[in-house]
Amino acid sequence: MKFVLGRLLSIAAALGLCFAIDVFAHSQNDYTQRLVALAGLYVTLSVSLNLINGITGQFSIGHAAFYQVGAYCGGFLSVRFYDGSPVHGLLWLLVMMAAGAAAAAGAGLVVGLPSLRLRGDYLAIVTMGFGEIIRIIVQNVDAFGGPYGMNVQPKFLHIWLIWLLAVSCIAVCRNLVSSAHGLQFLAVREDEIAAGAMGVNVTRVKVTAFMLGSAFAGAAGALLAHFEGFITPATFAMDVSFIILTMVVLGGSGSITGSVISAAFLSYLPEYLRGLKGPEGGTLAVTGASVAAALFATIIAAGIIRRLLDQARGTPRSRALGVAGIVGATLIGKIVIQWGLLFIPYLRELKIEAGQLRMVIFAVTLIIVMLLRPQGMLAHHELSWAFIGKILGIKAPAKAVTPA
Amino acid sequence: MPLSLQLLAGVDFHTLPQQVVNGIMLGAIYALIALGYTMVYGVLKLINFAHGEVYMLGAYVALFASWRLGFTPEATRGTNLQSSAFNLVILLLASMAICALIGVIIERFAYRPMRQHARIASLITAIGVSMFLQFGGALVLPISPEPNVSGEINPYKGTYQASLTPSPTALVRQRDAAKQPYEAAQKTFDEYIAATHEDRFNLSPKGIEARDLAQQAERTYKDLESKVESAGVSVIVPKGQLVMLVTAVFLMLLLRHLVMRTRAGRAMRAVSHDFDSAALMGVNVNRIVVLTFVLGSSMAGAGAMMTATFLGTPLTTFYGMEAGVKAFTAAVLGGIGNIPGAVLGGLLMGVVEEMVVWAGYSSYRDAIAFVVLILVLLFRPGGLLGSATMEKI
Repeated sequence: MKFVLGRLLSIAAALGLCFAIDVFAHSQNDYTQRLVALAGLYVTLSVSLNLINGITGQFSIGHAAFYQVGAYCGGFLSVRFYDGSPVHGLLWLLVMMAAGAAAAAGAGLVVGLPSLRLRGDYLAIVTMGFGEIIRIIVQNVDAFGGPYGMNVQPKFLHIWLIWLLAVSCIAVCRNLVSSAHGLQFLAVREDEIAAGAMGVNVTRVKVTAFMLGSAFAGAAGALLAHFEGFITPATFAMDVSFIILTMVVLGGSGSITGSVISAAFLSYLPEYLRGLKGPEGGTLAVTGASVAAALFATIIAAGIIRRLLDQARGTPRSRALGVAGIVGATLIGKIVIQWGLLFIPYLRELKIEAGQLRMVIFAVTLIIVMLLRPQGMLAHHELSWAFIGKILGIKAPAKAVTPA
Repeated sequence: MPLSLQLLAGVDFHTLPQQVVNGIMLGAIYALIALGYTMVYGVLKLINFAHGEVYMLGAYVALFASWRLGFTPEATRGTNLQSSAFNLVILLLASMAICALIGVIIERFAYRPMRQHARIASLITAIGVSMFLQFGGALVLPISPEPNVSGEINPYKGTYQASLTPSPTALVRQRDAAKQPYEAAQKTFDEYIAATHEDRFNLSPKGIEARDLAQQAERTYKDLESKVESAGVSVIVPKGQLVMLVTAVFLMLLLRHLVMRTRAGRAMRAVSHDFDSAALMGVNVNRIVVLTFVLGSSMAGAGAMMTATFLGTPLTTFYGMEAGVKAFTAAVLGGIGNIPGAVLGGLLMGVVEEMVVWAGYSSYRDAIAFVVLILVLLFRPGGLLGSATMEKI
């Protein structure tokens, strides 16, 4: 009874959250609305990629392909078959989501099969290859508008549905991990051979992970197509895959909450930078020399700190001092590099707006996370009340053990 | 029409040898880049994702060096600049040196700290470095309007032509017969213009008559000429591309000598065979890794300089992505970690790509690399020349 009540409450809370987000977004301007919607889509994408990469331990870097399959499937069916009656709008959108999910799951099956023979870096390359092949094929199909893209006619602005998808994706992954089926996924991640020896059907687990992950990406794609009203192959280029990968890596492979937090954070960060105002009130622009110097200095500093942390012995205090020293040295280094770069007239004249740094930030995030904390922000942990308590040093109340 | 015929509809077998030759030219460059992938994989078991970006930067170095030598867009538009082979050598050396430096920096700051972690961690770092160079480069490097290394810097102008099967003599005779009236009519018209100083675009009736005669003779001659060309099979190679091929082969032989005949090369092979044992045997592993990156990256730099100079492709910071993927496919196709394999794979990839274009599917030329890659990995993971051992678990 308590279990059912708890479940009902959490479902109600999730629905309430989605509608709250919807109400909030619709009270803002169009730009913010789009931002909130895209953040929801990225949460879905990164949690579903986390299912493949983090929970099952496969390594896919072609997630944008499934996103694309879903988007084009949903968009194409809408353009062809939607009769325009507004009553069925929501129902139609749900059907399109299902269709996109099914198509993407099919693609996931095709990509998942090689994962039976390949592992690690080779699997990564193959998933990337599949992604590019799908993109190039779509680009060459005239029915999809080729490289010019496709107008998706009925536009829906249901932000709550986007977030509902995100929440259900989180719920599915969370419940999967805490079920017996999910333990099989974790077992495959930890050791494939041992899992197989223990009777886990490794083939089925891997293919299921790929299909489930890509189905969610496909549903997200169908929603994107109907939200934006216009899709092109360039919307799903390789960098989108890398953005999703960065989100998963930053959050910590295997941590659902980590993926959610970093997806939301990384969707917001570039937009925040874009909105930064310079001293004169216009968009903030800095010289090429200082951007280049800052980027190099950041990466080099991260590398050195990593090295220091690896080798440091002694008290935390001496370590902290060492890190501080390195940070100081890097700052000085940055100034020197910048000073040197200023002698190149081209870099001195070049003005770079903060908004152009979007992809560079993802790249630098990826490098720095790998250098400083390869397991990601939360590693395998989840941000639960117990975990917060553990970090703060509060012990969870011990459960009373009833004597048998 | 049956499907097989439909597929062959756009195919012209007369152009096949030309396409194969083009493929070999392209393949030589892929082979140069593939050497970098294969050597780094052999030594570190790491897919150096950023290798394509090193190649891209090499092309930019060639661009800047050519500007430095005076071949800026403004200078080449107006005057007639004279170039020499010396300029090309400077460009080549500059690209190779800077690329080697970039490769070493990437190894030192991105890959070495990750060496004791899982291999996937290194791969993610490599992806990050690759993205960083692509998008960070786009911030500071000139990308729009897309610059290219001026063709003026290439002193080897002109082409070599070799005909494989001669055209039917009757056709050739017809063409030769048409040549004389064509030249005569052309000459008459030119003389007429020179005598009367008429505007070529605003001729008097008499001038129009002369022009029409000249044009008709020209059309007859050109028709016959194209008939002769399409009847026979011939191969045309620009001299510059031949220089490119020779340089590439020379560099590959040099690399082979370094790896097979020198002490450092032996150490490199030892490290590639067993990293830890080589370290125990007193090989300075870090130095060998640096050497590997120097060699691989400078090969990519040489390839980049040559494509930028002899093929004249416009540069963007995404210049290295396609080439990188194709070269990586070449390395896997030949057997990753295997140097002759990389060369063989590179040549095959070049030819396969040109075959796809030849068959009329040029919009799929970038997908073919991935198709080949997936097929090789699924059905012969060891590659053509590699040992067929699967990854150890």
